[in-house]
Amino acid sequence: MSGTSGGDRAPVCIQMLVREEKVKGDPPMEQRKLTRRQMLRVLVAGSGAAALAACGAQAPATGPAPTTAPGGGEAQAPTTAPATAAPTVVSQTGSTVNITYWGSFSGGLGEAEQAMVQRFNEAQNEVKVEYQFQGSYEETAQKFTAALQANVIPDVILLSDVWWFGFYVAGAIAELDGLAQQAAVDFADYEPVLLNEGVRQGKHFWIPFARSTPLFYYNKQLWAEAGLPDRAPETWAEFSEWAPKLVVKEGDKLTRAAFLHPNGASYIAWLFQGVTWQHGGQYSLPDFTMTMTDANTVRAAQFYQDTAGKLGWATLVQELNKDFIGGVGAAMLASTGGLAGITRDAPFKVGVGFLPRETSFGCCTGGAGLAIPSGTPDEKKLAAMKYIAFATNPEQAGIWSRSTGYMPVRISTKQSPEMQAFFTENPNFKTAVEQLPLTRAQDAARVFVRNGDQIIGKGLERIIVNGEAPATVFADVNQELSTAAAPILEDLKAVEG
Amino acid sequence: MALPDELVLARPVESVQARRQGRRWRLAGYLAMALAMLVIGLPVYWTLIAAFKTSAEIYGPPTWFPQAPTLANFPAAWNAAPFARFYLNSFITTLGGMAAEVFFAVTSAYALAFLRFPRKDLVFLLLLAALMVPVEITIVPNYLTIARLGWINTYQGIIIPGAAIAYGTFLLRQAFKALPYEVIEAARVDGAGHLRTLVSVVIPMAQPAIVTMALLSLVAKWNDFLWPLIVTNTANMRTLPIGIYWLRNSEGVINWGVVMAGSLFLIIPVMIAFLFVQRYIVEGIAAGAVKG
Repeated sequence: MSGTSGGDRAPVCIQMLVREEKVKGDPPMEQRKLTRRQMLRVLVAGSGAAALAACGAQAPATGPAPTTAPGGGEAQAPTTAPATAAPTVVSQTGSTVNITYWGSFSGGLGEAEQAMVQRFNEAQNEVKVEYQFQGSYEETAQKFTAALQANVIPDVILLSDVWWFGFYVAGAIAELDGLAQQAAVDFADYEPVLLNEGVRQGKHFWIPFARSTPLFYYNKQLWAEAGLPDRAPETWAEFSEWAPKLVVKEGDKLTRAAFLHPNGASYIAWLFQGVTWQHGGQYSLPDFTMTMTDANTVRAAQFYQDTAGKLGWATLVQELNKDFIGGVGAAMLASTGGLAGITRDAPFKVGVGFLPRETSFGCCTGGAGLAIPSGTPDEKKLAAMKYIAFATNPEQAGIWSRSTGYMPVRISTKQSPEMQAFFTENPNFKTAVEQLPLTRAQDAARVFVRNGDQIIGKGLERIIVNGEAPATVFADVNQELSTAAAPILEDLKAVEG
Repeated sequence: MALPDELVLARPVESVQARRQGRRWRLAGYLAMALAMLVIGLPVYWTLIAAFKTSAEIYGPPTWFPQAPTLANFPAAWNAAPFARFYLNSFITTLGGMAAEVFFAVTSAYALAFLRFPRKDLVFLLLLAALMVPVEITIVPNYLTIARLGWINTYQGIIIPGAAIAYGTFLLRQAFKALPYEVIEAARVDGAGHLRTLVSVVIPMAQPAIVTMALLSLVAKWNDFLWPLIVTNTANMRTLPIGIYWLRNSEGVINWGVVMAGSLFLIIPVMIAFLFVQRYIVEGIAAGAVKG
């Protein structure tokens, strides 16, 4: 309704507005045609120039082959320059080697990590490390993938248990034995279970740094109210007896569960790994044969389903730690990495213990370790190794462990007076460390198969939440894992023969 | 009576039943509005109060008001990372990126709406196709391009890949198409060139659409997380959303009070911008061709 009236009146104003130009300007019709053609010509020329510029920029980047450059550091330096503005300048003068370190630690962990880097930089003057936060484990790995293609790589990189192997298979991370020897690293003093995870064909590729394991957590207050002994259950059978005393129900609805499961996104497949071993099953064999349909693996899944279904004392929650602290459940399996935070924030006393046994004990390791990209120039590789050696030496491993809650990666760290004092103050942490020698590396299905963790996790959600038959679901999961494993197996053959 | 004619005439025609129905519809409208307010407002409210809560209270049973209000979260968040620098970086990349996006959207939309050139339909089709490509897909190729240009960890590295977005061009082209063509014709008759037509006629008339598009661009760039995270390396080039991410713990228990305080750092400038700019959207509608 206003459109027409507006249309009638507006031109008058426009005429008034533009009259001024008409007086000054040339006849516009002719000029317009010219500019259009000129414009097109400029556009075409412009895009050509841009393409040329792109080629020009590409040439020096791909010129010196990243891994086999005979020129070593100097040839590499210009290409890494954008990522590390200052280092190239200084490294060429030969006084200090500047290296960059990509990591995933933020918040309190990030501060502890920066403190570690600072101690290293102050302790010596040959190497200067810059810690650069790159987001979660997943984002760091994705960025590293892109950075490899663009050849703007860091010199040290933190990779989680599920990511390092993919880069190893792609030949993107370097073998560290020679460097370790030069940097006088004593592999014999590292916790063997943690160190050996990063070993392929007798060579070290991935050095344990921020390593954690699952742990059984319980709410001491609820334990006391239920009249239970102040310890974690020895076996799942024992916990099944205890659980009804911990549960609070309103009709059929569980208002307080005895036990909490996390969802797939919160790594239920990691926590369930130990449970399958306890039942005598496993996700896969070392040769990548998937064994999700193994009778014992299915039995473990049936047990998980029953905890939420038939037995009715467990529930799956979205935020595991938060709900445990909030008293939604009386116990859970969770990472040792959360121990300090949970103890601090929980309004009740927190108890911990080894994972319960079934037919046997089973507990896996997890977390992240450090690697050096194979594209890093030799001079920087040694500097990077020196940092890794520092960050995992017995003294620093102890400081890192005490400030974060991660496991001490060195055997001798445990005997140090600082650590002994810390154990006395934090008996829960002592329990977590004592469980460490009993743990083992995870099955290939979760850590070596791309997305294996989420494939298994989604399967477990179907079993626990939807109540689908474990055998059927795990048959699907087995199929999906086998498909996902095929290309990796092929790459692995090419690398390891 | 000073009542406009339509109203006086309309009254007797309207039946009681129709009026009742109208009232019912209006009630439903208010209900829908209240519901939308609740859905949108509740998380904001929750963020706001969580910023004033202690960690223990956040992890305890939910409370609608902070039981022991604390301001400690704000300095804790501010001191955890160089937030002053993050603010500066966010301002530069957001304003620079928005200015570039609006400029390219306005000029390209003008070309698509009013210029005649061969295969214009094909260009528009290409634009629509670009609209359908998810941002995540373009990240790796963009990263490679930026890296080869040597723009990693620079402002232009953050800004340029987002300088022209198909969505902005599409939105404005549609808006320009809807403008009364007679006005533009009249301008031409009066001898206005393309630039003059664009600046003096098209932009003032399409102001609401342009301001809306600019606001959408502002919010998108202000909140953008993944691209700035990937294309920058050092703390002094990082933007606010990455700063907030830094406040979260990668493993274990997150101190939500501090994270929420940090989130308020992010929300407040955009809210101010909205309050300030929204009148231009309304004014633009009222102005435009009608009032001239």
